Amino acid sequence: MKKLIYIFIITVISLHAKAQDCSMILTGHVHSTHSHEDLAKATVLLLKTGESITTDDNGDFKFTKLCKGDYTIKVTHASYDEESRHFSMDANRHIDIDLFPTKNVLKTVTITGINRPQHLGITKELSGKDLEETRGLSLAEALSKINGVSMLQTGSNISKPVIHGLHSNRILTINNGVRQEGQQWGNEHAPEIDPFIANELSVVKGVDELQYGSDAIGGVILVEPKSLRTLPGYNAEFNSMYFTNNREYVFSGIWEQQLKKMPSLTYRIQGTFKQSANVTTPHYRLNNTATIEKNFSATVGLRREHFESELYYSYFNDKVGIFAGSHIGNLTNLQKAIESDRPDPTFTGQDSYEIKRPYQAVDHHLVKSKSVLQVGANKFNLLVAAQLNSRKEFDIVRDATNNKPQMDLDIFTVSEDLNWEQPKRNNFSGLVGITAMQQDNSYAGRYFIPNYTSGTYGSYVIEKWKKNKWDAQAGLRFDQKKINTNRMLTNGTRFDFYSFNFFTFASSFNVGYQIQPTWKIYSNFSMAGRAPNVNELLSNGIHHGTATYEIGNIALKPEHSINISLNSDYNNKANTIGFDVTLYNNNINDFIYQQPKPDEPVLTIAGAFPKLVYEQTNANLKGLDFSAFAKPVNNLEWQLKYSMLRARNKKIDDWLIMMPADNITNELSWQFKDGSRLTKTSFGISIQNTFKQTRVPDDKYGKQDYKEPPPAYTLVDADFSTSFRAGSLPITLYLSGKNLLNTTYRNYLNSLRYFTDEIGRNISVRIKIGLQHFYE
Amino acid sequence: MKTRFIPYSILLIFVSMLFFVSCKKELTGEDNAQEVITTMQLTFTPQNGGNSVSYKFDDPDGPGGNNPVKDQIILSAGVTYDVVLQLLNKTTDPLEDVTLEVEKDGEAHHLYYEPSTTSNLTVTNLSNDVNGLPLGIKSVWKTGAAGSGTIKITLRHYPGFPPDKLASDPVDSPKSSTDVEVEFATIVK
Repeated sequence: MKKLIYIFIITVISLHAKAQDCSMILTGHVHSTHSHEDLAKATVLLLKTGESITTDDNGDFKFTKLCKGDYTIKVTHASYDEESRHFSMDANRHIDIDLFPTKNVLKTVTITGINRPQHLGITKELSGKDLEETRGLSLAEALSKINGVSMLQTGSNISKPVIHGLHSNRILTINNGVRQEGQQWGNEHAPEIDPFIANELSVVKGVDELQYGSDAIGGVILVEPKSLRTLPGYNAEFNSMYFTNNREYVFSGIWEQQLKKMPSLTYRIQGTFKQSANVTTPHYRLNNTATIEKNFSATVGLRREHFESELYYSYFNDKVGIFAGSHIGNLTNLQKAIESDRPDPTFTGQDSYEIKRPYQAVDHHLVKSKSVLQVGANKFNLLVAAQLNSRKEFDIVRDATNNKPQMDLDIFTVSEDLNWEQPKRNNFSGLVGITAMQQDNSYAGRYFIPNYTSGTYGSYVIEKWKKNKWDAQAGLRFDQKKINTNRMLTNGTRFDFYSFNFFTFASSFNVGYQIQPTWKIYSNFSMAGRAPNVNELLSNGIHHGTATYEIGNIALKPEHSINISLNSDYNNKANTIGFDVTLYNNNINDFIYQQPKPDEPVLTIAGAFPKLVYEQTNANLKGLDFSAFAKPVNNLEWQLKYSMLRARNKKIDDWLIMMPADNITNELSWQFKDGSRLTKTSFGISIQNTFKQTRVPDDKYGKQDYKEPPPAYTLVDADFSTSFRAGSLPITLYLSGKNLLNTTYRNYLNSLRYFTDEIGRNISVRIKIGLQHFYE
Repeated sequence: MKTRFIPYSILLIFVSMLFFVSCKKELTGEDNAQEVITTMQLTFTPQNGGNSVSYKFDDPDGPGGNNPVKDQIILSAGVTYDVVLQLLNKTTDPLEDVTLEVEKDGEAHHLYYEPSTTSNLTVTNLSNDVNGLPLGIKSVWKTGAAGSGTIKITLRHYPGFPPDKLASDPVDSPKSSTDVEVEFATIVK
């Protein structure tokens, strides 16, 4: 540790000595000679650095942190000829570029790019440097950097995102345009996505949710990869990483190429390998918490004039050990384990990469084809995707020769989405679509959810309007969901047939007003409807992590939410001070939750288990996300994030269980001046305070929890990064320390908080190597 | 262009569906892998001769569903019995004798017999596992004077690697967890 600090100090000093001015800004504007319009969505490429950006709605672009020297930019757009400019930078500069409509369209490769539409409304993103700092972490860990998003955990290896207190099937995860359909039933079922695929992670609320489903009561998470290359050449990125706490190592690579001889064809291959040994808390190492993860994806894109198509395949595979001390036989065992303040030495102290029972193994395949057809100014998108998810859970067994899983679930989904993007006309633009999804689930081993087939059919309309300082968006969506279920015994006997048919409706309305160029306010009103899931309707069995017997309820109706949000995003003109505040109030009628039935324990040969039954209530979740920043000096930035949530069960007038506690994060970061060798050097330190959750249900309607929420805690993290060149290779080095003070704490949203402390100090090193080449 | 788009898209839909339908396998439903125990049966044979009797805890449909049936253990006063314990899984056809598995994996299991003081029962001579540590599939029960009470029989499983089982481990040892816990009412007369 000391050594690291010395190296850091020496690096900092040497950086200062070599500082040179690399803070120049290039701004520009792209304009059409034909329609005299400002050209949005033109791609501007800075050849020297390989950096590429897209012009905004006003046709503007901006590159920052440029050093003195000569540069070339290349500007491309779907229906215009390519244009290049050479210039030298010795001060801030502005460039205007006029583009001519393409004359010889046959020769030109269309570069519409399968561009994602710009999301308006209350959207929060994680991209660029902030996303880079989360590389190597799980999807939920990365997302929890976004204010208002927290994590629901089972130990330190299984985590799923929580948006404003809602998770699992109340959140939609859109992986590269496809609605992720995996096993999202339980708290220990994490999303099956490799976050290295993402170039941007965002949380979308409001009108844009409707494109993906009517059931996004908590919001939509978009995992967006980078658009494919638009210029012939190749580029690559390699990351290797090591974590000290659990000896985790990560290798991840991306290779992209647009062929010289066939520029209409572009491809990308990407893969990640991760392995970690047992995790250690400040006082003991937890046996059987090792993991291994292998991911792979490939994309091929074909672009012709007015037509383009993309074929994508991804594979996710992981095997996650579960701390054996948390596998509970009955209620007495659980209470005994909870009483002791640390796990028995039988379950601690081994430092190994080996994964034994209990563990889970998950496979997820995704094949997607997306085609875009341009007819005049109209755009038609067709998306067809198939997903196969298989989850196997291996419990502790008596017979050591038993290598079968005790729970085995296969879920197969095919989805189709066809939509029409209207041309922008009179300040209006719009999207109309129809979607369908067919799903088939089967199981073996322990009964958790039945075999089922389901079909969902939906349609949606989204209209957007923008004029001067005002913009507004409105959308409607309607879905029908049919489910047919049965249970099955080994001998093929099928029984307990149930059929369900649910109709859900969603609508949303946003209004935004630009008070000043750097101050915007937004308001949103959304209604969403979510049909009950199969586990809520028909689950029936013992949950070993919590020693409860969980029972579904076939009488459940869809739940409906009415959500009102307000957002104000302000910075001053110099961008030295700013704040962003979101207020929300989400009323959910017929909210589905688990009610304990203390008077009806379930008797089994292992003793009596408390019964939990899915019931419906009316819930209210309201809260506040606040963030602010200030740059008192040029290179120093202070950031504050605060989020607060109050969640009530209105029928019994009590708090809702398992809601994130209030938390505050303070971050101080220092941006070093670029030197002749080291550039983009920064150091940051962050202090997170998580309060104790005091708003938990009391025992008047049955004991809801076994242990009081853990006390408040403070964590200190630090990050350092710098970029340099080794020969012609650009290299970025990241050093990061999590829980630097090795604080002992437990997190209320971690179901293993009954048994163990959280992970201790974890220091990581990452080296990123980038590669970029353009064919002449 | 439009004419080419439609057949191309349809082709893509079919290719992707075929690819996936072909690799989807049908799972086999609720099977043995889940390791259910539905029944505990105790067979009592008097050491000095006489007919053997058996009593059981029986939950043939497994956890949930119908409530289990539990016998009352009725024994004669002043008799020494050889007792054999049997664990069954009746959710499968044919039923499964779980005792064999417990015996095979004996170094990671331990049966505890806890009679209440008023039951006038003493349990000794627990049979051993391969390491010579008590396992308890077989035991010897001695009845005293007439009386009534309870006996709690607990099967503990050591999930650790290695199991680290000791003869002195208490029934609520943090090293092991409960697979079976049944409390019978007893009458000695």
